[in-house]
Amino acid sequence: MSSDSEVSIAVPGERLGSLEQFQAGNGTYIRHGYVYSCLAGIKHVRQETQKPVISVVREEQENVVPGIGSIVTCKVTSVNPRFCKVAILGVQSTALKESFRGMIRKEDVRATEKDRVEIYKCFRPGDLVLAKVTSLGDAHSYQLSTADNNLGVVFAKSEAGATMNPVSWCEMQCPKTMAKEPRKVAKISPHE
Amino acid sequence: MAGLEILSPEGLRLDGRRPHELRKIVCRVGVLSQADGSAYIEMGNTKALATVYGPHEVTSKAKALHDRVLLNCQFGMATFSTGERKRKPRGDRKSTELSMIIRRTFEAAIITELYPRSQIDIFVQVLQADGSNQAACINATTLALIDAGIPMKDYVSASTVSFVNDTPLMDINYLEESSGGPQLSLAILPKSEKVVLFQMDSRLHMDNMEKVLKLAVKGCKDVYTLLRRTIHEKAEEDSQSVSLT
Repeated sequence: MSSDSEVSIAVPGERLGSLEQFQAGNGTYIRHGYVYSCLAGIKHVRQETQKPVISVVREEQENVVPGIGSIVTCKVTSVNPRFCKVAILGVQSTALKESFRGMIRKEDVRATEKDRVEIYKCFRPGDLVLAKVTSLGDAHSYQLSTADNNLGVVFAKSEAGATMNPVSWCEMQCPKTMAKEPRKVAKISPHE
Repeated sequence: MAGLEILSPEGLRLDGRRPHELRKIVCRVGVLSQADGSAYIEMGNTKALATVYGPHEVTSKAKALHDRVLLNCQFGMATFSTGERKRKPRGDRKSTELSMIIRRTFEAAIITELYPRSQIDIFVQVLQADGSNQAACINATTLALIDAGIPMKDYVSASTVSFVNDTPLMDINYLEESSGGPQLSLAILPKSEKVVLFQMDSRLHMDNMEKVLKLAVKGCKDVYTLLRRTIHEKAEEDSQSVSLT
């Protein structure tokens, strides 16, 4: 079997280059002035302003852990007057194999009128929510925030069990019963 | 012993190898699809299977580490893996010690700061034991972790060395192991030659330690060549299947 000579494969521990020539990207680490690979995959060199960035990319799914500033997809698991608990199902565009626990506090639901927020009018159990990680929180869960126009509920079911359509930033409507339910709705661009 | 001779005067061992030769090693990566990473290894008649799950959320909250990943390792030997049936495949003192040894070994090799408050589970099972079980488990776990895509500083390659008739023996089998001679288990990061595991049983004069250690390092590097070839072949297969689409 003839191997593809264009693709260069890096394995953990392999020295990729000097720090004077490259910056270290994903899948690499630095030791004693050299860049080494820490994944088994394909070597990539991307041109940047000062130095090219070298990284090692795997074809398979990456192992992702939510970090500060990541946009995560969550499912609401429980609601109480001060916060609601969510299960983080995906990070940016990657689905997680196992969910992480997150928490959206009352003060983090929206940027305006924080003191008048009522959690049960913003989220219900089972809703799918887009949120941003604001901190790693305490030992139990990630702190999330939906205080942005693009963050909030993206999918919800009504009391009758049908998928609701967003009608404004704070309301969703059931197509069956035409009843409106209050939610903190995310503003999603059409091409997303 | 009249019948059994560990090392014959011509320099051959019981199974026909010379003192510095490894047994035949067969490696497979990705043998279990439901695990995140898995590997199977045969070193002679010793067979080990390693699976890796994670990084995922910590199962018990009290143990979560805020700055690095938590490694959980479980070692087991199948009841049928030895000549005499083992009554208890895991949980005895030897398995617990080996679990801790494997966990400490890979804490040194994995870049743990990348996955704070997460957990990586490693399960190693010996299917057939014929000496050098510890080295086979460590080599299998290395392949499984690389298959799972967990960032590591380097491969961890391990080998076991003995010392008989003023001669070090590489990659000992069960007969050489049970003859009571000194037994050195070594695991290193091959590129930088850093030692991540060093374990020694029985008595050995300090003057001979250098010889034994040198052969152990050579054994680890030979194993590393085979492990690297396995990963390279798999990575090439993956990249070719991607470029075809």
